[in-house]
Amino acid sequence: MVKKIFSILFLFVAMHTQAQVKKVTLQASGLTCSMCSNAINKALKTIDYVDKVMANIQTSSFDITFKPGAKVNFDDLKMKVEGAGFTVANLAAVVDFQNAAVANDDHINIGGMVFHFLNVKDQVLSGTKTVRVLDKGFVSAKDYKKNSRYTSMECYKTGTAGNCCVKAGLTAGTRIYHVTI
Amino acid sequence: MKPLVTIFFLFSLGQLKAQELFVYTEPASNMATKSIGIRLNNYLMKEYLKSGYKYQLAPEIMWGVSKKVMIHAEGFFSNRTDNFKAEGGALYFKYRFYSQDEVHSHFRIAAYARGAFNSNYIQQPAINLNGYNSGYEAGVVATKLINKLALSATSSLMHATDNTAGNKFQYDNGSRNAVAYSLSAGRLILPKAYINYQQTNLNAMVELLGQTNLQTGMSYIDMAPSIQFIFLSKMRLDLGYRFAVVNDLARNTQQGFLLRFEYNFFNAYK
Repeated sequence: MVKKIFSILFLFVAMHTQAQVKKVTLQASGLTCSMCSNAINKALKTIDYVDKVMANIQTSSFDITFKPGAKVNFDDLKMKVEGAGFTVANLAAVVDFQNAAVANDDHINIGGMVFHFLNVKDQVLSGTKTVRVLDKGFVSAKDYKKNSRYTSMECYKTGTAGNCCVKAGLTAGTRIYHVTI
Repeated sequence: MKPLVTIFFLFSLGQLKAQELFVYTEPASNMATKSIGIRLNNYLMKEYLKSGYKYQLAPEIMWGVSKKVMIHAEGFFSNRTDNFKAEGGALYFKYRFYSQDEVHSHFRIAAYARGAFNSNYIQQPAINLNGYNSGYEAGVVATKLINKLALSATSSLMHATDNTAGNKFQYDNGSRNAVAYSLSAGRLILPKAYINYQQTNLNAMVELLGQTNLQTGMSYIDMAPSIQFIFLSKMRLDLGYRFAVVNDLARNTQQGFLLRFEYNFFNAYK
């Protein structure tokens, strides 16, 4: 019963929280030359809701800002990097949270984006926070394996809501980004 | 072979970054998806036992089809028969099937196939699908990049058919098959620090390019040092020179220059 109330409460809170992705810093791996870096730079700029891309060639990282009100999809960014022939080594997103109650190894739907927080303390997030995406293809293969100790849920493997997550009120197949602070 | 070892060793020293946009071979990596590249390949090759050079022009178009597939098409023009004329063309297909990326290193393997046609008469037992013979080739290329050094190795099987315009392969039928192989090393010389895309890059490479005929067992191995400039992170200028270090397998032109201009259009289409 308590759990049910908590779920309802949780949904209620979720509906009233919002998250706006302000900026993404993405590091690509496998790069060798300025021409390769430029290929990623130009590919990222083709995403319609991307406002600016600032490249740091030396560290192969890209600061990406978005148009106002953009619904940012991290998979779009990853696809562009992979399309250019490279891999995402790290993706950190600066997100503006408004009273988002996050719990360790639990899901939270913030303004239509579902996050699964790993290796965090239970807390309420307010203001801009940087989260790091831990999903497959967003970190090195080694780190992805290492981070699997933070959850036993299958969504970590698939990136989408399965049996583990439907209980929590998510529709099966919903994209879940596994993140840490 | 000692000087070769020394050169490869020199390439592995220092604090500079690696470079894998090889001049005489293709790396396992592909161009970006939806990008189109154009090349003008100019070869100036010395004719064996004759004075003077023969000029070959090979315009080439390259297309990044997807993250794993790329296609090249090129045409061959030369003055080998004294008149400068169109002689043939080639189609190249590469599929990258293995990729392991880390921030400062990667290892990639690709399979490739190439088909070429040429209308000239055949005047050498060495098979050259780059403007001399009609035929086809299939092979594998592996490229390893470690911080300071880019290394690439290729190996392929080649088969020469008769040339077009009734020019037959005039050697023993069994000698239509050859194995080709190469080893390439490259590194970035300039700039010392990357700040923006306007900086010109200077790369140095050295490559070993070989072929062994499967019937006669005769081989050639060329050494090809080259330098490469990259302008505005989209244009490339390559300058190379190749010469034989092993030279059993006869060729009409054994040494000469390569001058290549390349321009890349990223996101060339939607």
